[in-house]
Amino acid sequence: MSEALIGVARPRIDAPDKVTGATRFAADGYVHGLLHARPILSTEPHARIRQVDREAALSVPGVVAVLVAADLPMATSGTDRTAEPLAREEVVFAGQPVALVVAETEAAAEDGAEAVVVEYESLPAVVGLEDAMVPGAPLARLVEEDEGGGDLESIHAGVDEGEQDADEEQLSGNVLDTVNRRSGNAAAALEASDVVLSGTFRTPWVYQAYIEPQVATAWLEPSGTLVVSTSTQGSFVTRSELARAFGLPLERIRVIAEPLGGAFGGKFALIEPLAAGAALALRRPVRLVLTRGDDFQATNPVSAQVTDLRVGARKDGTFTGIEARMLVDRGSNAGWGVEGITSLLVAGPYRWDAHDLRGYGVQTNRFPFGAYRAPGAPTAAFALESLLDELAVALDLDPIEMRLRNAVVEGDVGVSGNPFPTIGAVEVLERLREHSLWRDRESLPAGEGVGMAAGYWPGGNEPAAAVCRVDADGTMTVVTSAADMSGVNTGFAVIAAAAFGLEPEKVRVVSADTATGPYAGASGGSKVTYTVGKAVEGAARAARVKVLAAASQELEIAPDDLEVIDGVVRAVGAPDRSITVEELARKALRFGGRYEPIEGHGGSAQTVGAPSVAAHLSHVRVDRETGEVELLRHVIAQDVGRALNPALVEGQMRGGATQGMGWALFEQLDHDESGQLLTGSFLDYSIPVADRVPEIDTLIVEVPAPDGPFGAKGIGEAPVVAAAPAIVNAVAAATGTRMRELPLTPPHVWAALAESKPEDDL
Amino acid sequence: MIPAPVRYARATDIDDALALLAEPDAKALAGGQSLLPVMKLRIARPSLVVDISRLDLQGVDVRGGELHIGPLTTWDDLLRAEELRRPALSAMAECAEGIGDLQVRNRGTVGGSLAHADPASDMPAVLLALGAAVSLHSPNGDRVVRLADFFIGPFMTALLAQELITDVVVPLPKPGSGSAYVSVEHPASGFALAGAAASVGPDGERVAVTGIAGRPFLVSDHDDPVGGTDVFGDRFAPADYRRRLAIVLVERALERAAAHTAEDW
Repeated sequence: MSEALIGVARPRIDAPDKVTGATRFAADGYVHGLLHARPILSTEPHARIRQVDREAALSVPGVVAVLVAADLPMATSGTDRTAEPLAREEVVFAGQPVALVVAETEAAAEDGAEAVVVEYESLPAVVGLEDAMVPGAPLARLVEEDEGGGDLESIHAGVDEGEQDADEEQLSGNVLDTVNRRSGNAAAALEASDVVLSGTFRTPWVYQAYIEPQVATAWLEPSGTLVVSTSTQGSFVTRSELARAFGLPLERIRVIAEPLGGAFGGKFALIEPLAAGAALALRRPVRLVLTRGDDFQATNPVSAQVTDLRVGARKDGTFTGIEARMLVDRGSNAGWGVEGITSLLVAGPYRWDAHDLRGYGVQTNRFPFGAYRAPGAPTAAFALESLLDELAVALDLDPIEMRLRNAVVEGDVGVSGNPFPTIGAVEVLERLREHSLWRDRESLPAGEGVGMAAGYWPGGNEPAAAVCRVDADGTMTVVTSAADMSGVNTGFAVIAAAAFGLEPEKVRVVSADTATGPYAGASGGSKVTYTVGKAVEGAARAARVKVLAAASQELEIAPDDLEVIDGVVRAVGAPDRSITVEELARKALRFGGRYEPIEGHGGSAQTVGAPSVAAHLSHVRVDRETGEVELLRHVIAQDVGRALNPALVEGQMRGGATQGMGWALFEQLDHDESGQLLTGSFLDYSIPVADRVPEIDTLIVEVPAPDGPFGAKGIGEAPVVAAAPAIVNAVAAATGTRMRELPLTPPHVWAALAESKPEDDL
Repeated sequence: MIPAPVRYARATDIDDALALLAEPDAKALAGGQSLLPVMKLRIARPSLVVDISRLDLQGVDVRGGELHIGPLTTWDDLLRAEELRRPALSAMAECAEGIGDLQVRNRGTVGGSLAHADPASDMPAVLLALGAAVSLHSPNGDRVVRLADFFIGPFMTALLAQELITDVVVPLPKPGSGSAYVSVEHPASGFALAGAAASVGPDGERVAVTGIAGRPFLVSDHDDPVGGTDVFGDRFAPADYRRRLAIVLVERALERAAAHTAEDW
C-alpha cells in the first residue's frame, strides 16, 4: 500500500477529453436509423386533455408519428413521470409532456411539433404553496395516485421519515405527507429560555442549470433487449424505473450512463421512459434531446419552501428549544418530497434540549419536484443560520463562539434520534474563526459587511461493488457502474493505486453499464467516494492478494514478506529481490499461464454515514441606492474526512459555495398567479456567472471517516448548504436589515432597505 | 430551436437590399443577434431574410466635426475605434463594453440594435444623450432623423418597411465635454433595468434614460428625470423600483460625465 499517494493534487482524468471536445456525450453517439423526437408541452397548468389533433403534423414531410399516452406500451397506471411519460387525461403543470412528435430529422420534428393542436378543458389550478394547504382548496390532481411509485428518495440521504404526524390540523387533500420529529417539550424549553427568536423564511423553486440539457436515446436490439443511452446519475435506478414502466424483466434492459454534462441531482430517470416508450412503440431508435426551454419547463427543479422557525437560548448562548413548521412544495411530484430531510437538517449540527419539527409535503400545479445538490438543506440552513445570527446579536456573543458552544460531537443524539457518528463541526468552526476576514470584520468601510453560517449534510450509504483488473502491460483498469460525477473516477484511480501499490497514472477507470458492470447506486447523496470508493479499495486489495501470490511463487518468498510499491513487488527489507507487476501479469495472462489473473472484486455495505460539515464567511458590499449586492470575497471551511485529491476537493468546495451564491442572490423559478412559468430561459433565470463570483478561499479540514476509503467521505453536498445564509448574514452586517426571502435581487434588497429606513436616508 | 423554413438572399448593394425588402415579410439581417434568436423560437418567421451584413456600411470616422458610425459597425469594432478615445465620447465605450458577451459584441451591430429598438437596450440612451441622428435611405430618397424622433415605442421606429439606416451621426462635443453611461442590469439578460447616459460640457447638459419605459427618452428636467413617464414594471423589477433607479442613475451619470470633463486623453 502506498498511502503517500493520497492527498496529492492531480488533474481530473476526464479533463483532457472534456477540454479538447473528445468526450462523447449522450446526444453525440451515432445510431443507425435514428429518429428524432420533440415533446409537445402542456400550455395549461391544470386541465383535462380534450383531444390532440395530429393530422396536420402527420402531413409534415419527415414526420413518422405523433404519439400520445395511449400509444406508449405502459405497464403501470401510476401518475409519476415513469408511469406517465405523456399525460393521459389530466395535465397537472404547464410544461408537462402531452404528445411526442417523432421524425426523420430534427427540423421535421420541430415543424411537426408546431402543427400539433391540443385542446384542453381548464381546471382550477393551485399555484400558491400556502393556498394549496387550506381546507377546501382545489386539488392539484383529480386522478388518484396509485401506490407503488419509485424509490428515489433513498438515493439522496440515509434519512428516516420521522413519525407520521398524529396532529389533527385541518389540511386540504393537497397535503400528501406530514412529518413530525419531536423530543422533549419544545414549547416549555422555549418558554424557559432567556431569548426566543422567530421568523418566516421563504425560498423559491431553483433549477439545477446543468450545462447539458436532459437527453436520452433508446433502441431495441434484434434480440429484443431495450437499450437506453442517457445522461443520468444512475444506470441501475434508471433500469429499475424502465422495468416498472414497461413491465420488462431487468435482464431485458440495458442502461448506458454516458458522460454527464452536469446533473446536480436533476438526472434520475426522468425522460428515459418517454424515449424508451417511443422506441418500443415505433420499433425504431428514438432520441429525445430537450432544448433549454424544454428543460426549464418540463424537468424537475427543487422545491420552494416556507419555514416558520423558533429558537431559544440561555444567556450563556446554550441552545434550548427549536420549533419548525416547514412547508415543502412538491409541485406535481406525488411520490416524494424533502419534508423528511429538511425537517431533520433544520436543527443544524447543534445540540438542542427539545425539538418539535414538522414538515409538510404539498402538491401544487407546478413541475414535479426533483433533487438539487443537498435537497432540503440550503433552505433549512437559510432559516436556522439567519436566526442564529440574530441570536448572537441579541445575546451579544460572537457568532462562531456561540455555535461552538452548541456544536455536536460524536455520540450526541441528533433530532433523528440516532447518535452522530464522527463529525467535524467543532474543528470546522475553529478553523474558520482563525481566518483574517473574520478577525478583521469590525474594521470595514461603510456599506460592507462580513457574515458567517454553518451547515452539514448527513451523507448516504448504499452497497456497491467494483472490479480491479491488471493487464499484461502492468496497467490497471478499475470498473464500476457509478456515473462519473464531480470527479469520482479520478478519486477511484488514486484509491486503487494506493491500495494496490501502483502509480496513479497507470490506472484507468471505466464507467460500465448495467449489462457489464458491478453494482453501484446512483451518483448522489454524497455517497459515491465513501461507498463505491470503499469497494474500489477492496477490489484493489483483492487484486494485490493475487499479485502477491504470483510473486511469492516467482521469488520463493512468503506473501507476508512482500510489498508492492510503484508497480514492483519486492521483499520487505531486501528491495533488490523484486519482480514487476507487469511481468507477473504477462506470466498470468497467456496460454498455459500458471497464475490466476491479477484481478480483484470488492464490495462495501457501510451502515454508518459520514456527515460533512461546511462553514462559510462572506464579505459583501451593498449599494443602498440600487439594492445591488456585490460579493467581494468568500471563505469556506469543510470537513472532508480525508482529501484524496485536494484539487478536486477544493473544486467541490468552490462549486458548492458558488451554487450557494446562486441561492442567495440570483436564482428563482417564478410562476405567475395562473401557473405559467415566467423564468423559462437564461434571459430571465440568472445563475452566478464568472464575473460575479469572488475569490473563494478553501480551508480543508480533515477529520477521517472511520469507514471511508483512507478516511475519505462524500463532500459534494455539504459546501452548498450554508453558503446562502452566510451571504444574507453579511448583508445584514452591512445594512442592519435582515432579509428572510431568497434571492436577494436588487429590487428586493432595495425594497427591504427602503422599508427599514426613513425616506430621506435613501 | 430550429427556425421555420425561410429563404435567404445576400444583398449586393443598398439598392439591391431595398429591392429585396420589397417583399412584405422580408427582414433585414445584420449581425443576427436580435433576429436569429426570435427566429429560432419561431416568434419571428420572415419569408425572406435579406443579409445586409456585407454591405459597405462599416467603420468609424470623424469628418466635418461629426463622428460617423457605419450602421454595420460591430460593438467590438466600436470599442477598438481610436475616434472614441476622448472624454466627450467615453459614454460610448462604457456602454459598448457592457453589451452582451464577446461573441455578441463580435457580431452585433450598432445599426441593428437601433433598428431593433429594444426598450431596454443600452446604446440608444448614449446616442440620445450625445444628440445623434440617423441617415436613412429608401426608394423614396434620403432623409435624416434625429434619434429623439426615431424611437416610437417598444421595437418600433420611424423606419419604413423599405428603408435602411446608412449612417449614425454624432456631433462632436466641444473640448472640455465629458459623457458617461451607468446602468443596473437584469442579472440574467444583462439588459438595463434602468440606464442613464449624460453628456456635459460647454454646450450644456443632455441626459437620456433607457429601460424604464416603452422607449429610451431624453430627460427634460434633471431634477425630475422621470416626470410623468409611464414607467414599465414587472415581477422582477416593479415600476417604483425602476423609477427610483432612474433618478439615482441620472445623478450618477451626471457626476461621472462631469468627472470625465477633467480628463485629457
